[in-house]
Amino acid sequence: MNDDSPRATTESQPRWRRTLSRLVDASAKERMVISVAALVLAVAVGFVIVVLAGLAATCATKATVLGVPTPLCYDPVAVYHELFLGAIGHPLSGNWTPLHFRMAVTLQNATLLVFTGLAVAVSFRAGMFNIGVQGQMVLGALAAALATIHLGGVAPSGVLGTLVLVPVGVLAGAVAGGLWGALPGALKAYADANEVITTIMLNFVAANFAYVVVSSWFTPPDSSLVQTANIPTAAYIPTVPFAFQPRDSFSLLGLLFAVALVVGVAYLLARTVFGYDLRASGEQPEAAAYGGVSEKQTMVASMTLSGALGGVGGAVLVMMVQGRWLANLPQLGFDGITVSILAGNNPLGVGFAALLFGVLKSGSAAIGFGTDVPPSLVDVLRGLVILFVAMPEFFRMIGASLGVGGDVDA
Amino acid sequence: MVDFDRRDFLKATGGTVGASLLAGCTGNSSGSDGTKVGMVYATGGLGDGSFNDQAQQGLIKAKEELGIAYEESQPENNSEFASMQQQYAQNGSFDLVNCIGFAQKEALQANAKEFPEQKWTIIDESVDQDNVASYRFREETGSYLVGKMAGMLTQRDFSAGAGATTQGTNTVGFVGGIESPLIKKFEAGFQAGVKSVDDSIEMLSSYVGSFNDPAAGQSQARSMYNSGADIIYHASGATGVGVFRAAQDLGKFAIGVDRAQSVTQPDFADVILASMVKRVDTAIFNSIKAVVDDNFKGGTTTRLGLNDNGVEVAYGDQLGSEIPQDVKDALSQARESIIAGDISVPTQPQ
Repeated sequence: MNDDSPRATTESQPRWRRTLSRLVDASAKERMVISVAALVLAVAVGFVIVVLAGLAATCATKATVLGVPTPLCYDPVAVYHELFLGAIGHPLSGNWTPLHFRMAVTLQNATLLVFTGLAVAVSFRAGMFNIGVQGQMVLGALAAALATIHLGGVAPSGVLGTLVLVPVGVLAGAVAGGLWGALPGALKAYADANEVITTIMLNFVAANFAYVVVSSWFTPPDSSLVQTANIPTAAYIPTVPFAFQPRDSFSLLGLLFAVALVVGVAYLLARTVFGYDLRASGEQPEAAAYGGVSEKQTMVASMTLSGALGGVGGAVLVMMVQGRWLANLPQLGFDGITVSILAGNNPLGVGFAALLFGVLKSGSAAIGFGTDVPPSLVDVLRGLVILFVAMPEFFRMIGASLGVGGDVDA
Repeated sequence: MVDFDRRDFLKATGGTVGASLLAGCTGNSSGSDGTKVGMVYATGGLGDGSFNDQAQQGLIKAKEELGIAYEESQPENNSEFASMQQQYAQNGSFDLVNCIGFAQKEALQANAKEFPEQKWTIIDESVDQDNVASYRFREETGSYLVGKMAGMLTQRDFSAGAGATTQGTNTVGFVGGIESPLIKKFEAGFQAGVKSVDDSIEMLSSYVGSFNDPAAGQSQARSMYNSGADIIYHASGATGVGVFRAAQDLGKFAIGVDRAQSVTQPDFADVILASMVKRVDTAIFNSIKAVVDDNFKGGTTTRLGLNDNGVEVAYGDQLGSEIPQDVKDALSQARESIIAGDISVPTQPQ
C-alpha cells in the first residue's frame, strides 16, 4: 500500500531523477538559497582561476593582496571587489552617491536586458524557443531611429516633441520587432518549420539587411561608420532632473518603463485569457488544443509579442543610449536568453536577473579599468557566475519539462 | 549566511584594497613623474598583432622613457566607446586620454564638449575641439610603395619562403576591414602603386566588414588567390591573420599592415613579403610627451607621412633579403619622389 505514496515513488526513481525532482520541487526560499550558494561557489572557483592565471602570467610588478606581497600578477580580492562593488561605484569608499556614473552604466545595462529578457521569457512560456531576439532588436532599433529621424523634421521641438517622438519610436520598434518575430511564428504554425533554426537564421538576415539598408541609403556622407544620422534631441527618452545627467546615457524614465513592462507582462501571463492560452500551449499543448486554444494562432501571437518586446528593447537602445542606429549592436538579444533562463522564465524574475547582469557587465568594465587583469579573464569570471547561478534553474526547467517532481506548476 | 560573511570580509578588507588602488592611481612606481594616461582601444582589441598592439607600443615606450602611469580599456563594440571614454574623464585624475581609431570620433565629439577640462587625443580622425589633439597618417603613401612592390613581383616568376608568384597571372589583391574613408586610403594608395608599374595589372578588392573576423578574411583571400592573385595586401586588423593563413595554404604572398607583421606574426613570416608600418606608436608617444612637456597640441591635426617616418615599408623578417634589389631600388626611388612631391598619391580608389 506504501507504493502509492509519493515518497516511495521518489525512492524507486533513479538518482538523477530524484535530484531533478528535488530541484523542481524546491520552494522559492530554497531556490534563493541555492542561487546565493551558487554565487559564492562561482566566486570561489573564479578566485582560484585568478590565482592560477596570476601565477602563469608575467608582469613587472607583483600584486600585493591585502597588504601581503605575493608572487601573483593579479590580485583576486581586488578583482572581485571591482566586479561587484565597482558596478555600483564603490559604496564603501566614502563620498558615495547612488547617482554615480558607474551606477548609470549598471542600470542602463539592466534596463536594456529587461526588454530582451522579457522577450525570451514570453516565448519560452509559450513553448517556443525564440533565439532571434537579437535580430528583432536590431530591426526594432532601426525602425525607431528612422521613424524619429523622419518625423523629427515635422514634429515640434521641446517637451511637446518628446511627447510625440518617444511613443512613436517605441511603437515603430515594437511593430518592426513584432513583424520580424511573427515570421518564424507563422513559419512554425503553418509550415512546421523549427523555430530554433529559423530564428537563428533570421538574426543574420536582420543584421545584414539592416547593414545594407543603412549603408546604402541612410549613412551621412561624411560618416566613417555604417550608421544613421542622429535622432532629434526631442526623441531622446528624457532624463529626470536631479538624477542622472544626459551624458550618462541612462534615464530613470527608461528604467520605469522597463519595470512597467515587467509588471504588465507578468499580469498578462498570470491574469488574462491570452496569457492563460499562452502558458497552456507551452505546458500542455495537447490539453490546450483540446480545451479550445487555437494552437497556430497562439504560436504566431506569442512570437509576435516576443518580437515586439525585443523591438522595444532596440528602440530604447537607440533613444536612450546610442542616439542613432549603429552597425554591430551589442549582443543584448543573446544575453536575454541567459537572463530569461536565470529568471526561470518568470517575468518578475527577469527584472532581478537583468540587474545581476547589469552589475556583472558594469563590474567587468570596472575591472578592466582598475586592475591589470585581461578582459578575456574577466569574461571567464562573469561567465562562471552566470553559469553557476543559471544551472540550477536550467535543470529545473529540464526537470519540469520531463514531468519530474510532484508539483509541475511550482 | 555565507553571503553576509563575504560582505563583512570585503568591508574589512575594502580599506586596504582601496588604499592600494589609490596608491596605484597616484603613480608611486619609481621614476614616475605623476602623469597619468588613459587609453581606449579600437574594437578588435589588444593581441591583434596590428593596429592596437602598435598603439600600445607607444604607451609602453612612454612609461619606460617618461615614467608615466597608464590604464587601458578594450571595448567590444562601437556602442561602448562613449562610456569607456567617460570613465576616464569622470575619474578626473587622468592628464590625457588617447582614443584609438576613427570609430571613436562621434563619441569623442560629445565627450570632449562634456568634459572641457580633459585633454584627449584621437588617432585616425580629426575632432575640432580645443581639448583634442588629432593625429592622422598619410596611409596612401606607404600603401603606394607596397603596391609598387606587388605590381613588380606579380609580373615575374618569383619564389621565396613558402610563397611564389607566376608571371602570367598579373593579378594582385586587397582585403580591407570595414569599408570606410580611412581604409579606402590604403586601397587607393595600393592601387596607384600597382598601376604605376603597369596599368594592365588587375587588382581585386574586397571588404570583410570587420576588423576582427579572421575566418572571413581567410575565405575572401582564398577566393582572390584562386582567381589568380599572387600577392594580397590587407588593411584589416586582426582579420588579416586569415589572409596570411590563406597565403600559406595556397603558396602565395601577403603584405602586412600597421606593424612589421612578419615579426609580430612569426608563424606567417614565410609568406609576408613586407608590411606597411603605420607608426601609431610614434603618434601616441608624441601626444603623451607633449602633455608631459606642457605642450599639448589641442585643436590641431598632426599628419604623419613618409618624411617623418609616420608610415614606412618594413621588409619581411624572413623574406626581405630575397626581394630583388631592383624592386627595392624602385621603392626607395618612389619614396623620395613622394616626399619631394613629384608623385601625388590619390586618397580615393579610382
